[in-house]
Amino acid sequence: MTHQEAHQPEKQLALEADELSLSYGGYPIVEGLSLSIEVASVTALVGPNGSGKSTVLKGLARMLPPHRGAVYLDGHVITQMPTREVAQRLAILPQGPRAPEEITVGELVEQGRYPHVGPFRMLEKRDHAAIEYALEQTQLSALRNRPLDSLSGGERQRAWIALALAQEAPLLLLDEPTTFLDVAHQLEILALIRELNRAQGMTFVLVLHDLNQAARYADRMIAMHAGRIVADGAPSEVLSERLLEDVFHVRAHIMTHPVDGTPVCLPYEAI
Amino acid sequence: MIQFTGARRFQAALILSIVLLAALCILHISVGTVQLTPAQVIASLLNRPVEPYDRIIVWDLRLPRTLIALASGAMLGLSGAILQFIMRNPLAEPDMTGATSGAVLGAVLWLASASGGTGDPGVLVPWVALLGGLVAGIAIYAASGGPAGGPTRLIMTGLLISIMLRSVTSMVLVIQQQAVGSAIGWLIGSLNGRVWVHWDILWPWAAVTIPLGLMSARWANALQLGDMTVKGLGVPLGRARAWLFFVAIALTAGAVAIVGGIAFLGLIVPHIARRIVGVDARRVFPLSVVLGAALMVLADIIAQTAIHTVTLPVGAVLAIFGAPFFLYLVQRSRA
Repeated sequence: MTHQEAHQPEKQLALEADELSLSYGGYPIVEGLSLSIEVASVTALVGPNGSGKSTVLKGLARMLPPHRGAVYLDGHVITQMPTREVAQRLAILPQGPRAPEEITVGELVEQGRYPHVGPFRMLEKRDHAAIEYALEQTQLSALRNRPLDSLSGGERQRAWIALALAQEAPLLLLDEPTTFLDVAHQLEILALIRELNRAQGMTFVLVLHDLNQAARYADRMIAMHAGRIVADGAPSEVLSERLLEDVFHVRAHIMTHPVDGTPVCLPYEAI
Repeated sequence: MIQFTGARRFQAALILSIVLLAALCILHISVGTVQLTPAQVIASLLNRPVEPYDRIIVWDLRLPRTLIALASGAMLGLSGAILQFIMRNPLAEPDMTGATSGAVLGAVLWLASASGGTGDPGVLVPWVALLGGLVAGIAIYAASGGPAGGPTRLIMTGLLISIMLRSVTSMVLVIQQQAVGSAIGWLIGSLNGRVWVHWDILWPWAAVTIPLGLMSARWANALQLGDMTVKGLGVPLGRARAWLFFVAIALTAGAVAIVGGIAFLGLIVPHIARRIVGVDARRVFPLSVVLGAALMVLADIIAQTAIHTVTLPVGAVLAIFGAPFFLYLVQRSRA
C-alpha cells in the first residue's frame, strides 16, 4: 500500500501516524513512530522533558512536515489535504499561545471560524451559533467583551479552548493545557475535556506533565522516551513503578485513587 | 440580530471621522493667498459660485491638492495599520517596507539625471518613484527570507535597507547638487505644486490598493496570533503575510510617488484607530483610512497657514508633531 492512497481503517481511527520521523531545528527527534488514535477517545502523551511528546503533537497536527512516514487524518495523508479542510477536522492548541493584549474573548473565539469562512466571506448564522456554543461550553458567555489580559489564567485558557471549539473540529490536540494553572483550574480544564468527550464524542490528544491527572482523565496513556513510544495502553497498565524508574528516573509507589479507583503514583526519590 | 462589542462605537467613530474629514477638506480648500469662506467653497464645489474667480481657484488650484492630501493620507494610514498587524509590532510604519526610501531614491535619481540634461522631468517623476518604491519593497521581502522569514527579520531587513537607500539618496544629491532644490520636497514630503496631473496618477492606484487592503482584514486578524495558532486555523501563514506586505508596499509606494517621503503618519494613525475601536482589523483598517486622510489634510492646513509668507512642506509639519507622539508611545509602552 502506498502512502498516497486513502487508508481503509478497520476500527474508527481519527488519526494515524505511520513510521513517522520528525526533526526539529535540524535534529532528528522522532524516528519511525507509529500510533493510531481512535475516534471518541482521550489519549494522554506523557514523558520527561525532551522525550519528543510535543514534537509528536506538532507532527500529528501538520505543524512539522515529516521527513519520513506520514500522518493520516480520517484516512487521508494530512500534508496533502488543503490546510483549511484539515482545520475543519482537527484543532490544535499550542503551548503558551499568543494574542494581542487588548483582544476580547469574543474576538479571539471568532477567529476559530476561519476554517469555515475563509479570508473573505462574512460570518453567517451558523458561524455565530458555533461561537455562542464555544463560549457556553467554556462558560465564557458573560466575559465575551472582556479583554483577554483582564482574565484569570484559568479563564484565559478556557478562552483558547473556546477558540478551538469554535472550529467545530471533532479532533482536538492540546499541548500542556494545564501548565501554569493552579490546581483548581487544572481540574476544571480536564473536567471540561472529559465532558466534551463523553457528551459530544470528541476525540482528544493531550500532552500532559502530571502523570496522575493523565491517569485519571485519559482512556489511554502513551509514554514516550527519547523520541520513542515505551508504553501504550490503559493508565492502569502503563503507570508502573518500572516505567517511573526507567523513563522518569524516580522511585515511586503506585496506589489506587481512593475516590475513583484510577492509578496514582507517589514519587519519593530521584534516581 | 447578533450583538457585537463595540460595533456601535465603530460606527459612531467612522461617521464622526468622516464628518471631521469633510469639514477639514472644506477648510483646506478655503485657505491660501486668497482666503475663501466655507460657504464660498461649498458654492464653488457645487458649481454655483458667487464669483467665477472663486470657481477657478477652487477647481483648478485647490481641489486637486485637497484630493491628493486625502488619498495619500488614507493610503499611508492603511499601510501603517497593515504593517502593525503583520509585524505584530505597534511601532511598525510604512517606511519599514523600504517603499518610502525606494520611491524617494527613484525620484531623486530621476531629478538628478534630468537636471544635467534638458527637458522637464516633472511628469515622469511619480512613475519612476513608484517603480523605485515597488522594487525596494519587493527586494526587502526577498532579502528577509521570503515566506520562511518571520516578522522580526522583515523589520530588521526593512530598517537596514531603508538606511542604505537613504544614504544613496544623499550621495546622489551631494554629487548632483543642482538637484537639491527640486528634490527637497520629495525628501520630506510635500503637497506644494500638486495638480490634476498628479491626481490622475494617484486615484486609480488608490482605488485599487485601498480596497485590497480593506479586504485583507481577516488575514490580518489571524496574523496577530502566534504562528502555530495561525497555521492550526488553516491560514496559509507565509502567503497571507506576503500578500499583506505587498499591499502595504503598493499603498506606500503609490502615496510616496506623489507626495514624497512622508513620515510618522502611518505610525500615528493606526494607534489612534486602535485606541478607539480595539484590535479587530475589520474596524481598525477602515478607520485608519479615514483618520489618515483627515490627519494629512489637517497637517497641510497647518503647513499652509503656520507661517504667513511660506507654505511649509506637509511632511515637516507631520514630523514635528509626529516625533513627540512617537516618544510618548515609547514611554507609555515601557510603563
